Amino acid sequence: MDISRREFTKIGCKIIIGATAGTTIVESLITNSIAAENSPVKGGYNWEEHFWGYVVDTRKCIGCGRCANACKLENHVPFDEEVYRTWIERYRVKKTSLETREEEVVIDSPDGGIEGFVDDIPAEEIKKAFFVPKICNHCDNPPCVQVCPVGATYTTKDGVVLVDYEYCIGCRYCIQGCPYGARYFNTEKGTADKCTWCYHRITKGLLPACVQACPTGARKFGDMLDKDSEVNKIIDEERINLLKPDLGTKPKVFYIGLDREVK
Amino acid sequence: MQPHLKRAFTLLALVIIAFILVRSVLVPESFGQYGWYRGDSVDEIRNLNVNYAGSTSCGEEDCHKIIYSVWVKDRHKTVNCETCHGPAEKHVLNAREPLEKADESREYCGKCHFKGIARPEEFPQVDPETHGEDLRCVYCHNPHKPWFV
Repeated sequence: MDISRREFTKIGCKIIIGATAGTTIVESLITNSIAAENSPVKGGYNWEEHFWGYVVDTRKCIGCGRCANACKLENHVPFDEEVYRTWIERYRVKKTSLETREEEVVIDSPDGGIEGFVDDIPAEEIKKAFFVPKICNHCDNPPCVQVCPVGATYTTKDGVVLVDYEYCIGCRYCIQGCPYGARYFNTEKGTADKCTWCYHRITKGLLPACVQACPTGARKFGDMLDKDSEVNKIIDEERINLLKPDLGTKPKVFYIGLDREVK
Repeated sequence: MQPHLKRAFTLLALVIIAFILVRSVLVPESFGQYGWYRGDSVDEIRNLNVNYAGSTSCGEEDCHKIIYSVWVKDRHKTVNCETCHGPAEKHVLNAREPLEKADESREYCGKCHFKGIARPEEFPQVDPETHGEDLRCVYCHNPHKPWFV
């Protein structure tokens, strides 16, 4: 093709201008319905003023299961299915010979701990035993949100990971993506489901149902933006740990007295 | 411009317009309001009904003031009303809505107080085999004002 330098420059400029203008127009058409509005949620609650955090003191947990029971009642989680938004795990480390140095750990959580635990291993065989309450960690870097193909799960400004029950297509990818097993499939709704830290309660000034139901204060909930909150005090003063910190999920459930066997 | 190119560009334009139209119909209005999700869903979850009212709503009015003042000073003050009595929001909103009687069985008290290997040692526990025969715990212990040996 024969083309002068002047012609080439002309065509080149036209193409560049056209491409830029074209994409800008299309882009603005797509986004014009989506106002870049970043206002907080309405109704007397400003989600930019809060950032929630949760503390579990495993040394205080007595394994009564009132938390898991209250959670199911508050959030209409089916009782006849083995699904939980929060549950209690029991860890029993068995005595082994000093030579092997390998630990045998029995971990169970019958019905999430709601109906209690039966001592089915003789006490003489057990080295140590303890309960660990589990709940969604509401990670700051949540893998479950990353993998959702439709944008049906998200993190709110105040740091809570929620599921949009209208928008979820029930592909269960997030359930696979959660390294803590905190999500489940709700057969009644046909969507993925999970702990919301009782978002409908905390935005009204109430505590999550599990925290309120705990008789020993093993579960604490509070605002990490409030420097006087109990949660902040514990994080500042106690020796705390996270579940699977090496995954980089940045959990917001802080544990006191976590054993190395707890994953 | 050559006619075949014209046709191709027209077709491309139509496809783009159709895409924009279909997208504007399918994507909910509030999608992208706060981020890559439906903004309305936050309010939907926020507006869900509360079932647990909290202990203060039991003692606030004159309703259960006496028992509340006993409980709030005693050792079971960390055990909220609804932990044993069940979710009471409906009852708080409408006093005529009765609340189920609290479970007074031995097994219910045992959920916390029966001996368990994994329980913290300092937590008050009893061996159900040797303690209290088959009597209900509330026969000797007042759950609102328990006494300890």
